[in-house]
Amino acid sequence: MSDNSIMVRSIPALAVMGAAGLIIAQYFIWIYAPVEATMGIMQKIFYFHLPMAWWGLICFFVVFCASLVFLISKNPFMDRLSQAAAEMGLLYSALALATGSLWARAAWNTWWTWDPRLSTTLVMWFIYAGYLALRQSIDNPQKMRAVSAVLGVVAFLNVPLVFLSARMWRSIHPAVFGSKGGGLEPEMMTTVLVCIVAWGILTSGILFYRLRQLDIKDRVKNLFIF
Amino acid sequence: MTYLIFGNIAVWLGIGGYLFYLSTIQKRLSLKIRQLEVSADEQ
Amino acid sequence: MLNIRFLCLTVKDLKLIFSDGSGIIQPVLLGLILVFVFSLSTPIGEEVTAQAAASIFWLATSFALILVFNTLYSMEETNQARTGLLLSPMPLQHVWVSKALTGMLLLLLAQLFFFPAIIVFLGQENMAGWWTLLGVILLVDWGLVAVGSLLGAVSQGHAARDSLLSVVIFPLLIPLLLAGIRMGAHLLGGADDENLGAWGGIAFSFGAVFTGAAIVLFPFIYNEY
Repeated sequence: MSDNSIMVRSIPALAVMGAAGLIIAQYFIWIYAPVEATMGIMQKIFYFHLPMAWWGLICFFVVFCASLVFLISKNPFMDRLSQAAAEMGLLYSALALATGSLWARAAWNTWWTWDPRLSTTLVMWFIYAGYLALRQSIDNPQKMRAVSAVLGVVAFLNVPLVFLSARMWRSIHPAVFGSKGGGLEPEMMTTVLVCIVAWGILTSGILFYRLRQLDIKDRVKNLFIF
Repeated sequence: MTYLIFGNIAVWLGIGGYLFYLSTIQKRLSLKIRQLEVSADEQ
Repeated sequence: MLNIRFLCLTVKDLKLIFSDGSGIIQPVLLGLILVFVFSLSTPIGEEVTAQAAASIFWLATSFALILVFNTLYSMEETNQARTGLLLSPMPLQHVWVSKALTGMLLLLLAQLFFFPAIIVFLGQENMAGWWTLLGVILLVDWGLVAVGSLLGAVSQGHAARDSLLSVVIFPLLIPLLLAGIRMGAHLLGGADDENLGAWGGIAFSFGAVFTGAAIVLFPFIYNEY
């Protein structure tokens, strides 16, 4: 990855677009979207919660894909990509959990319930926290890369099982994009989509920035090896 | 309502915290690179 | 004779473990202490629910799993004989299979001690269906050792091996543990769970997924120093 690659050059544009998108999203959240009938203004936390949860999961999926490609190609770029994506995913799932917990407190009068999506997110959070801890604690970079790539693959294979088992345990979460309308008005739907897109742009901006940073870090480190 | 405010605070603190973390790493990296350049000039 | 060859490794590991016994005494002791300490969480005179007992049983088993696989994978490492395993004329997957088998045997041995402890300390006496119970234990243990043998090699040569391994392995095990707890609670005479078959399915697919993943991915881990 050279400094002139499209990825590096797109970072400022993505950052500006992401920020603008989030400002527009604020307009949609607070002015355009109607106040929900039963939950009142509290429902607006949903516009943070959902994009966080989605992008968190997508980041974890990126870790999975990058790890797979790394195992095949041994390209260090893929390893850096999985680290950057794991960090973003960990941050987003933590925020999704925090907002979800606040929402649960307001809506169901409890901080935590055994809900499949909530529990799956928490379990994912633990797994990827372990993943990052593992990355930090192995000194040999070659072993660290191989091991964390394997863990990155295995962790995502586990997701369906975690979800299924958590659902069999118990559930009260509302189905948002369920088949029977899910109770979202069209304005709310638009707002959610705007938020998801805005966060997505910002996410890719931060991700690219972090990738470039990890690349520079590796290069500086390599200077001392030779 | 207070929960909503807390939720907002949590989200922006989280994102801001991560960006701050990245910026400190970047600062350390630039310092290191500058040191390397200086020592390369001296040689 | 390809399918027999990995048994040499299993026999070798078992001999080494039982030559001084330390490899099995530690996990058994830790598990027994766990069961005993958890028995203190219930006030005197009250019964421990079947679900709580099952959770404690599987928790003790998971801790035993960590210790067992750390021992199994550090044996070659501490004697600087890992190159020997890498050079041995068999696919690396056989190392995984043999370690998993050894781990399975040691885990079953440990559970042999945990079981009476559950009965004595947690007062679980209305067990139903010994054969089903054995089947459930074997099914869940399969998943446990599949993960343990795959990731046990991860922390090789690392100072804080046990803690690192447990941080990585425990969250991965959660679906399997949920299944084990539900099935165990049912068999210990707890509430009727009509989902028993579905839980069995989850435990089975967990074992299958991780066995498949291990067969593909194990060489990547074990090859690296």
